[in-house]
Amino acid sequence: MRANGNRNGSETTRPGFGPTSSICPECKIVLPAEVFERGGRVLIGRDCPEHGRFEAVVYGDAARYEAIQPYNKPGEEPLERQTETDRGCPHDCGICPEHKQHTCLGIIEVNTGCNLDCPICFADSGTGHDPTGFSLTLAEVESMLDSFVAAEGEPESIQFSGGEPSIHTEILPMLQAAKDRGIPLVMLNTNGIRLARDPRFAPALAEIGVHVYMQFDGFEDSTHLAIRGRRLQEEKLRALDNCAEHGVGVSLAAAIERDLNEHECGDIVRFGVDHPAVTGVFFQPVTHSGRFRPDSDPLDKLTNSDVIDLVSEQLPDWFEPADFIPVPCCSPSCRSATFALYDGEDLVPLPRLVDVDDYLDYVTNRAVPDLDVKEALEGLWSAKAAGGTAPTAERLDCVACAVGLPIELQEVATRGFMIAVQDFQDPYTLDVEKLKKCCVSEIAPDGRLIPFCAYNSVGYREQVREQRGGAVPLPVSPE
Amino acid sequence: MRSPLPTASDLDTTALAAVAAGLEAGDVKGCCATVYEQPAVRWLLGGELHPGGEELTRRTLELARVAATDRLLDVASGAGTTAMLAARERACEVVGLDYGAGAVAGARAEAEASGHGDRVSFVEGDAEALPFEDDSFDVVVCECALCTFPDKTTAVAEMRRVLRPGGRLALSDVTADHDRLPEDLRGTMATVACVGAALPEAGYRELLEAAGFEIEEVERATADVERLCERVRTRLRGAKVLGFEGLVPIDGGLAHAIDLAAEAKRAVGEGALGYAVMVARLRG
Repeated sequence: MRANGNRNGSETTRPGFGPTSSICPECKIVLPAEVFERGGRVLIGRDCPEHGRFEAVVYGDAARYEAIQPYNKPGEEPLERQTETDRGCPHDCGICPEHKQHTCLGIIEVNTGCNLDCPICFADSGTGHDPTGFSLTLAEVESMLDSFVAAEGEPESIQFSGGEPSIHTEILPMLQAAKDRGIPLVMLNTNGIRLARDPRFAPALAEIGVHVYMQFDGFEDSTHLAIRGRRLQEEKLRALDNCAEHGVGVSLAAAIERDLNEHECGDIVRFGVDHPAVTGVFFQPVTHSGRFRPDSDPLDKLTNSDVIDLVSEQLPDWFEPADFIPVPCCSPSCRSATFALYDGEDLVPLPRLVDVDDYLDYVTNRAVPDLDVKEALEGLWSAKAAGGTAPTAERLDCVACAVGLPIELQEVATRGFMIAVQDFQDPYTLDVEKLKKCCVSEIAPDGRLIPFCAYNSVGYREQVREQRGGAVPLPVSPE
Repeated sequence: MRSPLPTASDLDTTALAAVAAGLEAGDVKGCCATVYEQPAVRWLLGGELHPGGEELTRRTLELARVAATDRLLDVASGAGTTAMLAARERACEVVGLDYGAGAVAGARAEAEASGHGDRVSFVEGDAEALPFEDDSFDVVVCECALCTFPDKTTAVAEMRRVLRPGGRLALSDVTADHDRLPEDLRGTMATVACVGAALPEAGYRELLEAAGFEIEEVERATADVERLCERVRTRLRGAKVLGFEGLVPIDGGLAHAIDLAAEAKRAVGEGALGYAVMVARLRG
């Protein structure tokens, strides 16, 4: 593990820096690569004999990148590994014996079709007929869920995605099938259009007990047009109101792109904490996977530290960068999160009230005061967590009241609003050492668990489309 | 098992009521000791009972050149953290003195549990009448406590009495220029919060020199105080968001306490309030 400075025999002792492997973004062959500092930022670079040199920024602040490396929890074994090591990482997914982590969050993409044609889409989905498009059957999804359960025992969270999963005619039974397998957190990743237009949809999700993960990139038309290709503001708000009316919790997922909606980060949080349906915000710096803006430069992309700075600068009374603590189950620069307590007026991030560092820094030798609290904090700072959900509320409850807060205080504490920043890797930023600790996996139709960033960077998405695509498209749900 | 957040059971309301009554009666020493024994107050301060925390304590011991052969007295030793740190890192013999019976019992238990028992002992007593013989210590440390003592001249005279000639006094304390402080930071609660009875830097200098000390080192820890004010303010805000109104028994409740913390931070920025480490040598 790199956090221990033991990286491919590197002589450098600077944690997180030094030699690794990556791929050529053009031909995808594995190449020796180097993580290094330039101009105060962290870059990854490698040379392809055929396509030349590629560099990309992986973290916007080198000092902080170094400081967060101790937030690296030793990986856990999955119950089952599905593939053998043959060609070497990242070409044997997965999960192959080289992988160093189990799966916290599984993702099933139920279709490739969508009711939007976004200019930016890592899944390269759309409304038109796609010769490699597919739409999974309920039986296929059930067998994929069974593979996930076999690998994890008692998986805690799963997300249904696409394409646009809400237009799949069998999406409700699919969500139910996940619940029936005892998975406590079942999420639907959606653009919200069906939630806005189909009055039966939110109540149906409420009945199954689904948490909605809704794309929500900001408020300005220019943002919607550039990222989603359509003005969507009214529909987004209607979707949220429908969720609120039926008690469906929603995490907002905001794709953040430089020079586009950077300035809306603070407003998204402010809106979220005040909306009764919204329980958290996930910021995602836009990656260069699938479809992305042709003029975007991998040396100029936003990273987690940039987004954390944006939120802190735009809401200076509420946040500072230190409130965002790296999630230690994956690599420390992949995801940072905080939980915020809010009373309708003031907001205080949980790390200001509890010294989370004492529990989640795995390198600095500290005495851990309370193992139950540590376990609860590990569950909160994890890729399987989402604000406003039962497992998260239980853990916040444990942190807040190991000795017994009065009931009314417990309720406030368990309403902790989650704000996460997740930087997915793309063919330009891919760091194989980091990938080996990925805990978010795409579940392939054949039951393989493919780490999300490998799925989108290395060619697995295309492979699955080739294997599964081309079948007669299923009808979609009317809006 | 301890929760990292304070709970209602951490808040000894009887004790706090006693504090209020004690303040009325002018018993500031007893009140300070009681207040700083409260787990909820310790949580507000984030385990740092003075600005700069352990790091500044290390710096203070370094400036005072504490050696393994020294016998050290920590006046107002509280939970015993500094006394144990000195014993551990400077390998010297340490006696901790505190006015609070609870603090002394807690520190004794902690020293026993952490294996410091052979080099550290704790005594209950009054800084204005130290229960020790003349010339019995090489170093006296007093962190963030002299500022709260009503009779500072007597306390310093006592420290001088128990120090051997040539011994060192290491003082780290709040500095306050009262003429420049806002009205709110001058009341009785301000005394308990270490501000109201603090002296300006020159005031401590005069006090020590008049008692026969020679000032050797002065270092200011402005950034540490600002950080501490901000932490207290944020934790008070957190308590308010959680609806934990009973945490601070002052007029105006949490909202007022939050304002006070903000005012204190502002005063630090303006130089009216601060924190300094002073090392002085006893002439002779």
